[in-house]
Amino acid sequence: MRRAFLAITGLAASTTALVVFKGSPSATPVAQNLPTAQPVNPSGPGTDPSAAPDAPGTDPEAGAPTPSTSAGAPVSPKPGKTTARPSGTKATTKPPSAPRTTKAPQSTTRRVTGNGFDNEYGYVQVQIVVSGTRIIEAVALSLPSGGESDIHSGDVSNRYDGKGGEVVQKQNANLNTVSGATETSNSYKQSLRSAIEQAF
Amino acid sequence: MPAALTRPGLCRVEQIMGTAITLDLADDLPPATLGELADQVFAWMREVDARFSTYKTDSEVCRFDRGEVLLSEASADLRFVLEACADLWGVTDGFFDAYATGRLDPSGFVKGWAAQVASDRLLAAGAANHCVNAGGDVRVRGLSPSGEPWRIGIRHPWDAMSTCLVLTGTDLAVATSGVYERGRHVLDPRRGAPASGLRSVTVVGTDLGVADAYATAALAMGAPGLGWLDRLDDGHTHSVVTDDGRQYYSAAIPLTD
Repeated sequence: MRRAFLAITGLAASTTALVVFKGSPSATPVAQNLPTAQPVNPSGPGTDPSAAPDAPGTDPEAGAPTPSTSAGAPVSPKPGKTTARPSGTKATTKPPSAPRTTKAPQSTTRRVTGNGFDNEYGYVQVQIVVSGTRIIEAVALSLPSGGESDIHSGDVSNRYDGKGGEVVQKQNANLNTVSGATETSNSYKQSLRSAIEQAF
Repeated sequence: MPAALTRPGLCRVEQIMGTAITLDLADDLPPATLGELADQVFAWMREVDARFSTYKTDSEVCRFDRGEVLLSEASADLRFVLEACADLWGVTDGFFDAYATGRLDPSGFVKGWAAQVASDRLLAAGAANHCVNAGGDVRVRGLSPSGEPWRIGIRHPWDAMSTCLVLTGTDLAVATSGVYERGRHVLDPRRGAPASGLRSVTVVGTDLGVADAYATAALAMGAPGLGWLDRLDDGHTHSVVTDDGRQYYSAAIPLTD
């Protein structure tokens, strides 16, 4: 029981740390929200909400610098910059109220970290991303030999561009068995279970 | 009697070697016989784990590595594995290296080999229709419980719930090495750094230990591993998924229709 209590308080601490980390920058840059939204993109449902606010949020900012660098740099760097910056700051001072309201529903996406489990192979810890009542992502924060799943999970949409060779397909048919890379089974399941229990 | 819902044989899963080992016996044998065969398979897998685990400091592999066991004192299994690893080191141009981490770690061969031995013993014991899956390394023989050839999916490297290719056969060893479960745990022995370029390598043959080692070696080679697999002319076929999400497979790989 004591161990469980310690684990839970440790977890609470880490989740508050996460919340603080997530919460503090939300006031300043719009981009800071993106990392939490980006992993959602490959799975589909996140693409629309995140893409839509991005466009109005970044367009004024991105639209202004491009003329300033392309048109302003060769001839008149100073006026170019001065005209670009006010428009940029104006764009950020006004629209933030709009992006914030549109981003607010996105913050229902939350990350919950499962308890860490030690096994004879090392330390395993799983974090899930929950949108409403759905788990949209499970990421191994720690795996015995250095997990990379959190790096790759965000790459899916980038990788699936379909250019060149034969893009890896999904096939599902009634199967007897599946061949795949060796899993670290127990600890992963335990950590995942604890994350789910906390999330719901 | 709900005859339609029953199937011949037995299916059992146990957690050994830090992973799930699944045994599917499809022969219509008496339950007691099936149970006994399954007991023997899992006892063997536990024996291999105790002897070859690099995580158990008292395993024979670790004691041998520390010099506490001489080669002349080593078990027949350990001597066989060391010899096989030495052969595979040569065949794979040094890319299958049981010493890649700086200490003896024959795991890239042992898991597949252990499942292969289990399958060989089942065949010898009269259970000719079975599937042994040792943490993703698969050995199938004969027919599945439905009376058809076994169907083996290769896991999609970005989606644990999907497969990217489905193979079928009555005598296949299918080994997959990938970076998606345990990170970049395979080292390029020449650079001493984690291998990159390939996300998943599946090798199909008839000896699961060799297939396992080949898959590990090709993963360690990175992109050139694809060419190396292509040039193998010893009856092995392969399927490779690169880091940029492209899949390549042998024309002769036993696909389902």
